[in-house]
Amino acid sequence: MQLTLEFGGGLELLCDSVKIHNVDVDLPAETQKLTMKHLLPWVRSNLIKERPEMFIKGDTVRPGVLVLVNDCDWELSGQLDTTLEDKDVVVFISTLHGG
Amino acid sequence: MARDVIRVRVATKTDSGDQEEQLSTEKKLPADANGDDNHRRHRMMCLKCKAIEATVFTGGDGGGRFCADCFRSNLYGKFKLAVTSNAMISPTDKVLVAFSGGPSSRVALQFVSEMQLKAQKNYDATANRDRSLPVFGVGVAFIDESEIHPVTSAVLDKAVEDIKQIVFNLPQPTKELHVAPINHNYATKTNDGEQMLKNLMNSVGDATGKEDLLAHLRMLSLQKIATENGYTKLVLGSCTSRIACHVLAATVKGQGYSLAADIQYADARWEVPVVLPLRDCQLQELNVLCSLDSLKIVEIFNEPCGGINGLVSSFVKVLQEENPSRECTIVRTAGKLTPFPFNRIPEGNVDDADLVSQRRQKKFNLKPIESLPPESFCPLCNSPMNCYSNPEPRPQLFRAACCPSCQYQILPDEPSSMDQFYSLLPESIIARAKNGNQKWIREKIQDFLLSDGEDEA
Amino acid sequence: MEESHGGDKARSRLCCICNQRRPALRRPKTLQQICRECFYVVFEEEIHRVIVDNKLFKSGERIAIGASGGKDSTVLAYVMSELNRRHNYGLDLFLLSVDEGITGYRDDSLETVKRNEVQYGLPLKVVSYKDLYGWTMDEIVKMIGLKNNCTFCGVFRRQALDRGAALLKVDKLATGHNADDIAETVLLNILRGDIARLSRCTSIITGEDGPIPRCKPFKYTYEKEIVMYAYFKKLDYFSTECIYSPNAYRGFAREFIKDLERIRPRAILDIIKSGEDFRIATSTKMPEQGTCQRCGYISSQKWCKACVLLEGLNRGLPKLGIGRTRGINGDRQKDDQQIGVKNLQSKACESLDF
Repeated sequence: MQLTLEFGGGLELLCDSVKIHNVDVDLPAETQKLTMKHLLPWVRSNLIKERPEMFIKGDTVRPGVLVLVNDCDWELSGQLDTTLEDKDVVVFISTLHGG
Repeated sequence: MARDVIRVRVATKTDSGDQEEQLSTEKKLPADANGDDNHRRHRMMCLKCKAIEATVFTGGDGGGRFCADCFRSNLYGKFKLAVTSNAMISPTDKVLVAFSGGPSSRVALQFVSEMQLKAQKNYDATANRDRSLPVFGVGVAFIDESEIHPVTSAVLDKAVEDIKQIVFNLPQPTKELHVAPINHNYATKTNDGEQMLKNLMNSVGDATGKEDLLAHLRMLSLQKIATENGYTKLVLGSCTSRIACHVLAATVKGQGYSLAADIQYADARWEVPVVLPLRDCQLQELNVLCSLDSLKIVEIFNEPCGGINGLVSSFVKVLQEENPSRECTIVRTAGKLTPFPFNRIPEGNVDDADLVSQRRQKKFNLKPIESLPPESFCPLCNSPMNCYSNPEPRPQLFRAACCPSCQYQILPDEPSSMDQFYSLLPESIIARAKNGNQKWIREKIQDFLLSDGEDEA
Repeated sequence: MEESHGGDKARSRLCCICNQRRPALRRPKTLQQICRECFYVVFEEEIHRVIVDNKLFKSGERIAIGASGGKDSTVLAYVMSELNRRHNYGLDLFLLSVDEGITGYRDDSLETVKRNEVQYGLPLKVVSYKDLYGWTMDEIVKMIGLKNNCTFCGVFRRQALDRGAALLKVDKLATGHNADDIAETVLLNILRGDIARLSRCTSIITGEDGPIPRCKPFKYTYEKEIVMYAYFKKLDYFSTECIYSPNAYRGFAREFIKDLERIRPRAILDIIKSGEDFRIATSTKMPEQGTCQRCGYISSQKWCKACVLLEGLNRGLPKLGIGRTRGINGDRQKDDQQIGVKNLQSKACESLDF
């Protein structure tokens, strides 16, 4: 599945300072459906190059990280249960930096 | 109450080698049997008596090193200072000690008993002289919360048995033990109190609200036991660690105004005034004492907290690991908040009371206006409310009488659910809502009341 | 997660305010499902109410907005500019930026502020440590290492903003401190035992008796909402950590607040309310204000803090003015202030003694 992942608010520093990543993610074998729940560990393993604790805590994002799927707050689509489709855009923004 | 990790380790003298585990960063000096080991002994001696080797290392304020005896007397000293300088226990008092089974209240029980024993010995020693000052009485209360925290009857029975044993084995004189269920408050109603309590708890959706409501009901039960049995003071084992958590939790719940009321040595807004003699003792010290003196503890009803209370607990734990004095600093900061007029023991020796209140007025730079009592108290949690929280002097609705925090986390949102909730409340809470804090009203008009002998209004 | 209060009981697929458009976010503050347009409206309207209800500004005043190029100050500049226009505040707005001279950190954020100047049409003034003090932070760190650098930066920045504001002849300074910041500061002051700061840190206006009063229009604005707003409005901002700042135990407090927010969003506002309600005797004596003999800046001592530190740097005695040393002022410096400044670092070090 082709996805565009964007990192902002300082999170890009964890991914070699690259803000936008066009990725191809394999669907999980059992369900053939990709949810945020599966995407997060994938991102952690494949894109996060340092200090993963800034991005992920437990099985969800660190508190203070906003997640938008197609410009829509993932709180509205069920957070980790949000299903993803081909060509979706997922944005991760950290609120913990800057002034 | 959940037991914290014991951060202080006690050396086992019976072991062959040096089994001292230390938290301090001092390097362990090699055992030098032959040469001059004055230097080494100096490093390891008890800070207080300097005579015996230290075996208890407390990481807290000053990085203490004590031998067992000095550690114990130091801890008891803190207890005694709190009791005497705040006029907590007077000879005519009958003191009820709330015992949860945990280490803090266990030590409170032990120390109060020891103090009573000492007073008794003094009394006996003055056999032929003036015996005008009697010895205060002591009783013990345990609240059975099995309706809310279900345990098997075997577990409950064993716990109660253990508690009976503990109380029986306390220093003389024998103390009465009161065991009451948490639905104690409903005893006067004809309906099934247990079911009402369960329904009441179920109607609270917020996890934190549930825990806090339970705590309020626990206090009501204790107060009921105390008043029904003629006790004049209620002793809680609240220690520095517990109070530090309460400071942060209250801040997080928007209870900044009333916080000062909860963390003083004395709290006389209740029918039976509440005193906290272990306020200056850290949980780790109390744990160590229980271990040192083999004070038996009963672990029951101590599920870890969830919600806000649980988060605060974890946070304080993390802070303590980073700096073992943090709890003390938190409580010290809160101690600088201006207390309320009811945060002192009103009765007792007139001179003492004046001295205590004079000291407090000086310390907090209280102006007369700040000494005025708050107008109202929340019927659920008994928090004093400032005029901004409650503009209505005599609110018609129960909801409007409660503090903003209880309104949010305990009371249901929907008016229909609110009616049902109200019907499940114990009588004492409803009375508080209707009539205000009776104790405080009496205090205010004390001077104007005619005594029994004169004409009554 | 507690969901029994407000929030999304009815999973209707429409914005709960306009009932027309598709919701784009769940508001962190209230848990309402809300569309973009309504979000902009409530966000801006709430800030307008804060400004009006707290009488932050008067018509005709010259206001400097502390601009770091970060999310808070960028959104503040944008919103204030917008509200000034919409509600006719009659204010003269400026951007004021401080260049500490930290390579790689400040260069980029200054670029952002310069872009903001163009985008929002607000005049920009940059004051640099080099111009004011003769030292950049890079040079200071080279001299003293990483131990007390935040102390220097904090003291210098505070003065720099005041001096810059004086150069611009402004009446007030507005900073982007948000609700999360203030809640965090309340907690930190409790943890540190600083009752004096605790009594002042929730004030929306501070320093009225000093050179330049400062105010915080974002006092009740959630950090998450600022980020959401900036994202949807595609506002240009820069975010990174100061490369010199250690992750002090302020990090614990920040983590705690975020965890709190997750289970009870209103906790952030409740902490601020507690801070406002704490019963603290208001008789803390304010030190007498004089002027520094070296530079003329306002100071309660013979020399102001910055001059003391600078003297140390110039003489090669970098510890002068740090900790409990007998300094130029001949008395024991209160290290409480140092600790305060040092530990109040998190973001772009703008969170100072306020």
